[in-house]
Amino acid sequence: MSQQNLNFDYKFGFSMPEKNVFKAEKGLNGKTVSDISHMKKEPDWMREFRLKAYDSFKKRKMPKWGANLSKIDFDNIYYYIKPTEKQVNSWTDLPKEIKDTYDKIGVPEAEKNFLSGVSAQYESEVVYESINKELDKRGVIFCDMDTALKKYPKIIKEYFGTLISPHDNKFASLNSAVWSGGSFVYVPKGVKLPMPLQAYFRINAERFGQFERTLIIAEEGSFVHYIEGCTAPIYTTASLHSAVVEIFVKKGARVRYTTVQNWSHNIYNLVTKRSIVDEAGIMEWVDCNIGSGVTMKYPTVILKGRKSHGEVLSIAYAAKGQHQDAGAKIYHIGPDTTSRIISKSISKDGGRTSYRGLVQVSPGAKNSKIYVSCDALIMDKLSRSDTYPHMRINEKDCEVQHEATVEKLGEEKLFYLASRGIKKPEAESLLVNGFIEPVVKEIPLEYSIELNRLIRMEMSGSVG
Amino acid sequence: MKFINLNQTKQTKLVFDKPGDYTVFFYNLSGTFDFSIKASGVNLDILGLFVGIKSEKFQLKTNQYHMSPNSTSNLLIKGVFDHQSKFIYQGLIKIEKTGQKSHAYQKNKNLILSEKAYIDSKPFLEILADDVFCTHGSTTGKINEESIFYLKSRGLKQKEAKKLYVTGFVQEIIDKIRVNQPNFNLNI
Repeated sequence: MSQQNLNFDYKFGFSMPEKNVFKAEKGLNGKTVSDISHMKKEPDWMREFRLKAYDSFKKRKMPKWGANLSKIDFDNIYYYIKPTEKQVNSWTDLPKEIKDTYDKIGVPEAEKNFLSGVSAQYESEVVYESINKELDKRGVIFCDMDTALKKYPKIIKEYFGTLISPHDNKFASLNSAVWSGGSFVYVPKGVKLPMPLQAYFRINAERFGQFERTLIIAEEGSFVHYIEGCTAPIYTTASLHSAVVEIFVKKGARVRYTTVQNWSHNIYNLVTKRSIVDEAGIMEWVDCNIGSGVTMKYPTVILKGRKSHGEVLSIAYAAKGQHQDAGAKIYHIGPDTTSRIISKSISKDGGRTSYRGLVQVSPGAKNSKIYVSCDALIMDKLSRSDTYPHMRINEKDCEVQHEATVEKLGEEKLFYLASRGIKKPEAESLLVNGFIEPVVKEIPLEYSIELNRLIRMEMSGSVG
Repeated sequence: MKFINLNQTKQTKLVFDKPGDYTVFFYNLSGTFDFSIKASGVNLDILGLFVGIKSEKFQLKTNQYHMSPNSTSNLLIKGVFDHQSKFIYQGLIKIEKTGQKSHAYQKNKNLILSEKAYIDSKPFLEILADDVFCTHGSTTGKINEESIFYLKSRGLKQKEAKKLYVTGFVQEIIDKIRVNQPNFNLNI
């Protein structure tokens, strides 16, 4: 992708102390929505899409099930902030404050090491994006969503919002109305990317809601692994993160989507993720929820084509004040489809984890096989763990298996480790890391090391 | 050992406030059934059997509430569904903070015999205590073709083989009751 196309000028900005070029007013109304669209110089259809979504958002009631969302104040959120005037493609061009934040979390090292392309999101725009020539050579498109809308309007119009309708749920409507940033990935027929695509997401202003929008299209026989990792600094007031991710897996293609989410504990993380899989395609969600105060996220796989396969592997960790309400949804529509859900959750210091899942076998999904396994660990008396699976079976010729266990850390194991001279906090973190191992081993090395360290830190208060 | 047949006693809210062994059984019952364990040393078996034919529809909710420590509850629901029968099941194990050292199990196994049968199963867990062991499992499937093939190779006709298979599937429940109630008989 050439640099020129990323440098579209913004004339509307004015300078804020935080160096934000444009900050929409707090709260949401029809005008804010069309202002955002105008600001981004979007085509008419997108503006109408946003406005329609906004109508639905107003009409929709808050979900009555799941986590407690009553504290979200939609009027106290900035729906759009544009941080710098244009995208920059080299590290030295970035403003100092942004660079400092990134230095602390180590984007440049990560990039030097192995990244194929880093799309770092600071506030609501992608400000730093470096794209490997490799991707260009293979015809792979990897850019932020706003650029994609300008450069590839036809393909965006064809897919955008077709899998997750702007009327799907209240938060998908909200995202559709005010979305900003996110990634667009297009992998042409037969291209198998050997390296994962990564995007770092950060939220960095108080009371700021982040509404990124991601669309991944994997053409016939292709393969791509997309990774999003999140860390965010601590704020004083609650923020909202509400993303929408749509993934199209064509015939024989395979997409793996890995999330390592570690938002600060005052963030509401309400995400709609869905994928549709054609014949013999494979969709895998690897989802690690460590941070955020409230998470509601149920990655979905629609197995439409014959012999398609879906997988959701997840880890949830809830400490004091956190509620991780996560799970998976799998719809078996085509025959010979298979799926697997593995969920591991840990609750500690009064945290609450809930697994909420749906498996549906529609008439005609002959010879389909489903395996669901949810394991939960409760670390102390204050914590809580729930399991809410749902199986709807409308086909005779299928096998559905579900199992769940809830338990505490084994006394014998702790005793054994203690007898070996390992202190209790270390022993606990060792056992917890062992417990989540089946999912962690599916994550690329760099992330699994990070995750193990994170768990160790959460468990014993120190990394060592 | 106390045996409670819900088809006869018509109870829907059962409270177990004295230690001991209990077996609760029900057959083709719709409704909501609460099992509240309010004493330590309760050992409760809950056995449910469903056989659905034609357009029968069963809506079942079971709640296992553990309010006291050191008790065990073990639920097993088995169902065979033919024709357009429907089975809608929601099971809950709830361990309150006061229910430390509870063991609670919940299992739902279904056999589908017809294309048009519909099964909706929601086995829920809500655990508020840490020193517990809880599991639930749910399986739904068809008749194992290999078993039928084996029986046919032994000279049984398709219909007989299927009948034997289904009887065997149901028998698990009957056998569990007969351990303590040798005269128990269910005429289906």
